[in-house]
Amino acid sequence: MQRTDKVKHTSSQQSLPVRFVKQYGSVVVFFILFIFSSLFIDRFFSVRNVLTIIKQAAVTVVACMGMMLILTTGGIDLSLGYTLGLCSIFLGILSIKLGLPAWQAVLLTLVLGALVGMLNGVIIQFLRVPPFIATLGVGYVLFGIAQIFGKGDAYYPLPDDLLALGMSRPLNGLYSILPKALQENDTIQQVSRLPSYVFIALFVLILIYILRHKTTYGRQLSAFGFNRATAKLSGINTARLHVMTYMISSTLVALASVMLTIRVNCAQSNLGGSNYTFEIVTAAVVGGTSLFGGISNVISCLFGCLITKSLENIVNLMAVNIYLYQPMMGLIILLAIVFEVYKNRKL
Amino acid sequence: MPFSARKRTVLVMFAVVAAFFAGGSLVPNFLKPANLLNVIRQCSIIVICAVGIAPVIITRGIDLSVGGNVTFCGMLTGFLLLRGVPIVLAILAALAAGILIGLISGALNAYLEVPAFVATLVIGQITQGSAFLLNNGRSFGGFPNAYVFLGNGSFLGIPMSNYIMVLFVALGIVLTSKLPIGTRIYGLGGNAQVLKNAGVNTAKIKLFVFAFSGFCASAAGVLLAAQLDTAHPTQGEPYQLDAIASCIIGGVSMSGGEGKIILVMLGALIIGSIRNILNLLAVHSFYQNILVGVIIITVVAISMMTRDKRAYRTAQFAQVKS
Repeated sequence: MQRTDKVKHTSSQQSLPVRFVKQYGSVVVFFILFIFSSLFIDRFFSVRNVLTIIKQAAVTVVACMGMMLILTTGGIDLSLGYTLGLCSIFLGILSIKLGLPAWQAVLLTLVLGALVGMLNGVIIQFLRVPPFIATLGVGYVLFGIAQIFGKGDAYYPLPDDLLALGMSRPLNGLYSILPKALQENDTIQQVSRLPSYVFIALFVLILIYILRHKTTYGRQLSAFGFNRATAKLSGINTARLHVMTYMISSTLVALASVMLTIRVNCAQSNLGGSNYTFEIVTAAVVGGTSLFGGISNVISCLFGCLITKSLENIVNLMAVNIYLYQPMMGLIILLAIVFEVYKNRKL
Repeated sequence: MPFSARKRTVLVMFAVVAAFFAGGSLVPNFLKPANLLNVIRQCSIIVICAVGIAPVIITRGIDLSVGGNVTFCGMLTGFLLLRGVPIVLAILAALAAGILIGLISGALNAYLEVPAFVATLVIGQITQGSAFLLNNGRSFGGFPNAYVFLGNGSFLGIPMSNYIMVLFVALGIVLTSKLPIGTRIYGLGGNAQVLKNAGVNTAKIKLFVFAFSGFCASAAGVLLAAQLDTAHPTQGEPYQLDAIASCIIGGVSMSGGEGKIILVMLGALIIGSIRNILNLLAVHSFYQNILVGVIIITVVAISMMTRDKRAYRTAQFAQVKS
């Protein structure tokens, strides 16, 4: 009997629970984490805390969707954190110094994101520079540009129309027509106060889900990630696909930057940084995205983000030494990566 | 030497001369021996980091934990020195820590098949975070005189740091061209599959190069803390980018298999001199980083565009993942 007979290679040979954990492992981990924290940590299982986690995860989800797309091509975007800072200060300059109306400023910031993505994509695809070098170099350049434009200033407070885009309460109208008995319920009150950027994140989530799992682009993306040469030979326009992926991703990062800037009500060039990039990569990898390319799952990534933010929340609640946070997160990421690499290697 | 490699050597030498010429004309007294020795003293940190990271890149890997290692090992040395540990023991402990960190990265890459940049990125984050932990975010200062002498003292008119730098460069050259491990390092970068088929234990080579990189980064960290008489939890950060840039300028190809330590040293001197000149001209470090970023992209793009296409495609085809 050969050793290979014992390893179940095709997914149809594996039982349903095994397949579910393999594909949606992060969902399982999140619920285990959630249950344990609710039982053992004070104040974790409260409406306010859960909604805090959701609000914090909203920005991460948008950026992580972009990173997920790039990881699916087998590349990486190390300029993410620096793009965040650049878009933030750009938004600040447009809306405060130049006084543009909010929607124009946001639109132009998204265009900036797309341009950054195009720069990354062109360098990687046509100059054949490896992604991590290209995005690292571009990232440093963007960081420098952000510092030059911002001159170290931070722009605050942001104009009201800009804040309204992110911080208004869309569910308020619905709340006001509810019967009085329901209105007094604390949970319903807090849910109705969810700011609009959470709903923007939800919208992006649905959009990227459709893009990744229901369109031809998503299929081609997977094919490209698994084997570039055969994808090209199958007739897929790999150059366009590759550059477009980076453009989409950086646009999403610009959107995340807009959301984060509005949320902290301050436009600064230090927003994000290399730590943020690392956090997003963590969320994507914990969310089951293969670093070798080809495999990724939107729902899984969502829960990856939720896991990351829950861990941050737990560390805050337990008042652990703040300097312990980074090494601890690093160790957790390491475990997640080793697990993911081990799982995907069997393919 | 194949023609393109000879062109590369000439270009690097030209760049060194150009950098020093630029320095000489922009900054008064730049070309005086005393100042040049001092510039080299400041570059020594970059040189040591670059010599460490070069074998890793030659084997087609990357080490993104250099910044974290430099910081952490400097902080560790400071931590131990201020608790009264003898200087020699403190330095040995920091070097051992560096080797250990490198071994962990190497093991992740070789045995668990985690891609090098992710493994080292994460390890770098952990070491960087641990550096903050050692003194709760504060820095250490006021080290014993003998230790500071290593960084700032001179012997026969030449700074001690320069001797240490030359020592590491010599070590790197011996490693890559005079010892059998060197041939295997180049072989691993050129065609890993062939090496495996020949029965060579590629995992051990990877462990070695990452451990060597960790060792060099820790030595650089110890030397830096001695030079500055301070160990600050972020002082290793700029050396990450500069070390990679030095290797790239020095002709180390990102696709592995090429590169000479002596050229890497020259690359590091170029980067260091550029930074030194720009500092003296009061150019902000953000602009300097832009320049280094542009240099990296340009050099890699040019080397990708001018490589021998047929040989590259053959090598790529032969890189079968087992």
